[in-house]
Amino acid sequence: MKPTSVLTMLLEVTDLDVRYGRNHAVKSLSLSLPLNAIVTVLGANGAGKSSLLKAIMGIVPATSGSIRFDGQDITGSTVPQRTRGGLVLVPEGRQILTSLTVHENLLMGAYPRKHFDHRETDAIYDRFANLAQRRDMQASVLSGGEQQMLAIGRALLAKPRLMMLDEPSLGLSPLLVNQLFTLLGDLNHEGLTLLLVEQNTHMALKVAQYGYVLELGKVSLEGTPDQLQDDDQLQAAYLGG
Amino acid sequence: MLLMQQIVNGIMLGGVYVMVAVAFTLTIGMLNFLNFTIPALFMVAAMVFWATMSGGFGEGFDSLFGSVLPVGMQWVVGVLLALIAATLCSLLIERFTYRYMKTRYGDATEHAIPLVSSLGFLIIFEHIVIMIWGTDPMSLNSPFGAATWRVGGLLIGVPQLISLVLSIAIVAALHLLLKRTKTGRALRSIAENPDTALLLGVDVQRIVPVVYVVTGLLCAIAGILFAINYRTVGPYIGEQVATIAIAGMVLGGLGNIWGAIVGGLIVGLLEALATYWFGADIVKVPIWGLLLLVLVIKPTGLFGQSAIGKGKF
Ligand SMILES: Nc1ncnc2c1ncn2[C@@H]1O[C@H](COP(=O)(O)OP(=O)(O)O)[C@@H](O)[C@H]1O
Ligand SMILES: [Mg+2]
Repeated sequence: MKPTSVLTMLLEVTDLDVRYGRNHAVKSLSLSLPLNAIVTVLGANGAGKSSLLKAIMGIVPATSGSIRFDGQDITGSTVPQRTRGGLVLVPEGRQILTSLTVHENLLMGAYPRKHFDHRETDAIYDRFANLAQRRDMQASVLSGGEQQMLAIGRALLAKPRLMMLDEPSLGLSPLLVNQLFTLLGDLNHEGLTLLLVEQNTHMALKVAQYGYVLELGKVSLEGTPDQLQDDDQLQAAYLGG
Repeated sequence: MLLMQQIVNGIMLGGVYVMVAVAFTLTIGMLNFLNFTIPALFMVAAMVFWATMSGGFGEGFDSLFGSVLPVGMQWVVGVLLALIAATLCSLLIERFTYRYMKTRYGDATEHAIPLVSSLGFLIIFEHIVIMIWGTDPMSLNSPFGAATWRVGGLLIGVPQLISLVLSIAIVAALHLLLKRTKTGRALRSIAENPDTALLLGVDVQRIVPVVYVVTGLLCAIAGILFAINYRTVGPYIGEQVATIAIAGMVLGGLGNIWGAIVGGLIVGLLEALATYWFGADIVKVPIWGLLLLVLVIKPTGLFGQSAIGKGKF
């Protein structure tokens, strides 16, 4: 099920370039993401995955190309504008605010929203019992797995239309990785569209409906999980090809 | 009894230092920026207040307001003008020091440029005041007279008491703002990590001026209270107060509001006691002596944590 024009595209990236001075991190990349899908972006370290997500989020500027979200061109929008529009990024390394409490971190997640009832955090605490126990503690006391829950809970409180996750399984135990991917599947069933950057190819291809493989800033391969799993190039891409 | 009186005086004096120390600590904690224009904001507010109260703006100004204001309400205009003047000056510094340097040279906080630039603004503001009113100390017609209370054998100046209560109330309100409000959480997020704050949708460029407005208001209130308490103002009062307030801030721990409060009160107390024991000429010696001693024993100050500018609130 390659995304076609029959499906509603929530996100369309066209010919995107990201440069850091002379460093050309993303090269003429195009990608589309149907509403309610999970699409994964795979690739070795330095392939440009994080740069892609940061450009979609507006954290780094697109040197050229365009980004359409929900039918609107957001290429020139600021990060706050994009967050208000329903884009959210669970960043690499989670970026928990350790000087704030767990609860305050969650409240910060709702920052882009005009109308927010503090009781909406209850749904997050129901989902993540560990966070409920540590509600009023400094977020610095959380374990890696709990930090990832907090990062996702915080992102959920933004009421996003599209959640992007940058290597969420990094540093988690196999058990937690399993829980994480179950959670991502659940969220998708509840109607959330996900763009998932992963190095855990196996797990990512299990939940995603479509995947892109990046190599040195370019899409070297794309297809359904079945197509990708059968491809010898996938291994090569991982070795940095 | 004389000693007790000095202690009372010192704590009262501390109120002014507390507000200036908190102003310093806010910009350091939030923006990692030692803002040297703070003394000028304090001084400008005191001068504007004095000028409104004591004819510093000339007869035209006085008659203008004399005709519209009920007698005795001049001080309200003075307070408003002082608050506005200091806030505008503070925003000017944000625009031409912090933001300018940041947009021009990337992360301005990594550089000494904003610091040096703010020092430049301090000198400019001082000299503008000198050009207008000269360097002589000016005396203020205090609207509040010299009311005092006798408690036991102690003499407590009513304006001093009010200013102490007011400064602690203001700092407590600031603390609540930071802890309990959405804007406060956003400011604390910026203090810890501006990149994360931006990622979460905080418009960092828009919210940074809030810090400067708060700085301007704190300095202005401190300046007005100083003018009312001492009834003498001049272009250099900012420097005099700020050097001691800085010592108080560092003593309490950089970037820590409660540290600035305790530090400000300690230096106020120390100043009063040192004046009593050793005379007014050398008051700064014990203050900076204590500071250096504390720094040797605990380099982060009494309440400071490790790195500066990383989530102090
Ligand atoms: N802020 C930056 N400045 C300069 N180069 C960068 C920056 N961030 C990433 N890069 C470079 O861009 C390329 C892609 O990096 P990144 O997007 O982080 O890849 P990935 O997430 O796939 O590991 C790498 O060569 C990296 O060194
Ligand atoms: Mg990455």
